[in-house]
Amino acid sequence: MSQVPDNAPEHCPGTGSEGAGSADACAGCPNQQICSSGVGTTPPDPDVGAVRERLSGIKHKILVLSGKGGVGKSTLTAMMARALITLNNNTEVGILDVDICGPSQPRVLGAQNERVHSSGAGWSPIYVCDNLCVMSIGFLLNSDDDAVIWRGPKKNGLIKQFIRDVNWGELDYLIVDTPPGTSDEHLSIVHYLSTSTSTSTLAAVVVTTPQEVSLLDVRKEITFCQKLNIPIIGIVENMTTFVCPKCKTETAIFPATTGGGPQLAKDTGLPLLARVPLDPTVARDCDSGLNHLTLHPDSKVTQMYMKIAEQIVEYCNGKKQQ
Amino acid sequence: MTSQAGDIEDIAVQECPSNMEDAGKAEVCVGCPGRELCLEGNKPDPDQKIIDTRLRAIKHKILVLSGKGGVGKSSLAVMIAQLLASDGKSVGVLDVDVCGPSIPLMMGVADQPVLDSQWGWKPVVSPSSNIKTLSVGSLLASGSQAVVWRGPRKTSLIRRMVKDKLWGRLDYLIVDTPPGTSDEHLSIVKLLAHTHPEGAVIVTSPQKLATGVVSREIRFCQKLGIPILGLIENMSGFRCPCCSEVSDVFSSGGGEYLSVKYGVPLLGTVPLEPQLTAAHETGSNFLVQLPPHSPTVESVRQIVVTLQAKVEGN
Repeated sequence: MSQVPDNAPEHCPGTGSEGAGSADACAGCPNQQICSSGVGTTPPDPDVGAVRERLSGIKHKILVLSGKGGVGKSTLTAMMARALITLNNNTEVGILDVDICGPSQPRVLGAQNERVHSSGAGWSPIYVCDNLCVMSIGFLLNSDDDAVIWRGPKKNGLIKQFIRDVNWGELDYLIVDTPPGTSDEHLSIVHYLSTSTSTSTLAAVVVTTPQEVSLLDVRKEITFCQKLNIPIIGIVENMTTFVCPKCKTETAIFPATTGGGPQLAKDTGLPLLARVPLDPTVARDCDSGLNHLTLHPDSKVTQMYMKIAEQIVEYCNGKKQQ
Repeated sequence: MTSQAGDIEDIAVQECPSNMEDAGKAEVCVGCPGRELCLEGNKPDPDQKIIDTRLRAIKHKILVLSGKGGVGKSSLAVMIAQLLASDGKSVGVLDVDVCGPSIPLMMGVADQPVLDSQWGWKPVVSPSSNIKTLSVGSLLASGSQAVVWRGPRKTSLIRRMVKDKLWGRLDYLIVDTPPGTSDEHLSIVKLLAHTHPEGAVIVTSPQKLATGVVSREIRFCQKLGIPILGLIENMSGFRCPCCSEVSDVFSSGGGEYLSVKYGVPLLGTVPLEPQLTAAHETGSNFLVQLPPHSPTVESVRQIVVTLQAKVEGN
């Protein structure tokens, strides 16, 4: 990836590009002289080998993205991981939580009090069950309410350690829970996960809720993926409708004023993987770190998450054969 | 965080200095990838005088924070602003969410560009409520293009938004923020610091998954010396339009829990309301779109009454 310094002007061609220092956009840039002299190019990352080594045992990497906060990325990540194991209990799954400021995976997976240990083999991820492991900054903080007031470079440094230093072992799937937005964490995780052999999959699942205020941000996330050449497996619309437990009336609490997930899928040509209803038991189970899929195997939400997992498997198997 | 072969040790992240003025200078900062930025961030700003002049023309500045995404920060920022405006106050809304600005849609100004004048950027005024707005969304007009900026570039834009915006005299400036506790938050707090913002209103949803993250935002405020005016619990239950049964869609109790744990007043709880989403999405004034005695209107009205008493009473 060509580097764009933080003080660069709009349309900076990147310090590593051929036009660095000489493009029209370079006029007036404080780095122009350095770029045109050729000495300012970014040196190769010494950790590339170590990152590649760690990733070599991971077959499929799935980013769970949204752009919008609060649409259910963390819930989807955990449920999708559990669903993949339910489909085939020989599947080895890892979850990487790169939401540095607001880590949710420790709570959702019922692993809040765990600590990370390090040995010669690297950092041990936390095992929630035999074939599901997870890494999050939530396990590394000394208190459960300490503010993580980190600027971008420090967040990027930890994300690199999550890839380079964690002993992930052999995984069929690494599912990455991301924070809202399109910033440091997203650029970093894509950069490091792309340092891998071409036989492994890197793809995204995009989550939205039905209302336009979500779709506004999610469209940006889709163009982010397209800009960075990350294929999108499909769109999940979460919190589609709510069914009253008493009278069974269905209400769209977050109305799809502009067509919601289905319209977005149509506009972008992406598959709509599922429309997941709002079920209060999901929120309660996530709060308590319980596995909704095993507690409520017949719920509509469980059916939808199994459907999403099946489509992930189908996509990844299809990529393997190409 | 390194280990010797054969050793097993617990890994923990080292905390940043508790005093933000020591950022970049403390022993723990040596070797930190963010050190240069922190040192840069602590240097005096050459434009501080202009920034302070702009901000001193605004009587009361209130941050709307959460830490957690999707709890309704923008929604509440807009409702608070619209209620204050209906009370005859002159109000502005500043949206510093660079990646996901929601304010232009909610204020009905999505298609209006920001105009430059010799005195600075002119306000974009919401047609439904006579509220001045400035959002990254209006400045960049990027549509569906992602704004993929790293921290320092976001910080630089936010600084320009405060320095170059011609707010004029206002009674209230409501600042909508993105989720998290990072560059944008540090930047806006630093910019406002000299002109003493009233403080922050913190928004949560009832779920523990939210309160776990919002606790960190409360500690962020405490660490940076930002007064906390109070908590709002949003998405607090849903009343079925058919049978009136109230369901705790996103669990319950989060606001009360945080209020007790941190000694912060709970200003109010706001229920889930589909008509509110519809009002926001059309850029309408919720006071016009919702029935006057709807639980949402009554709840937010009470919150604003309490906030005004706190802020104007000082």
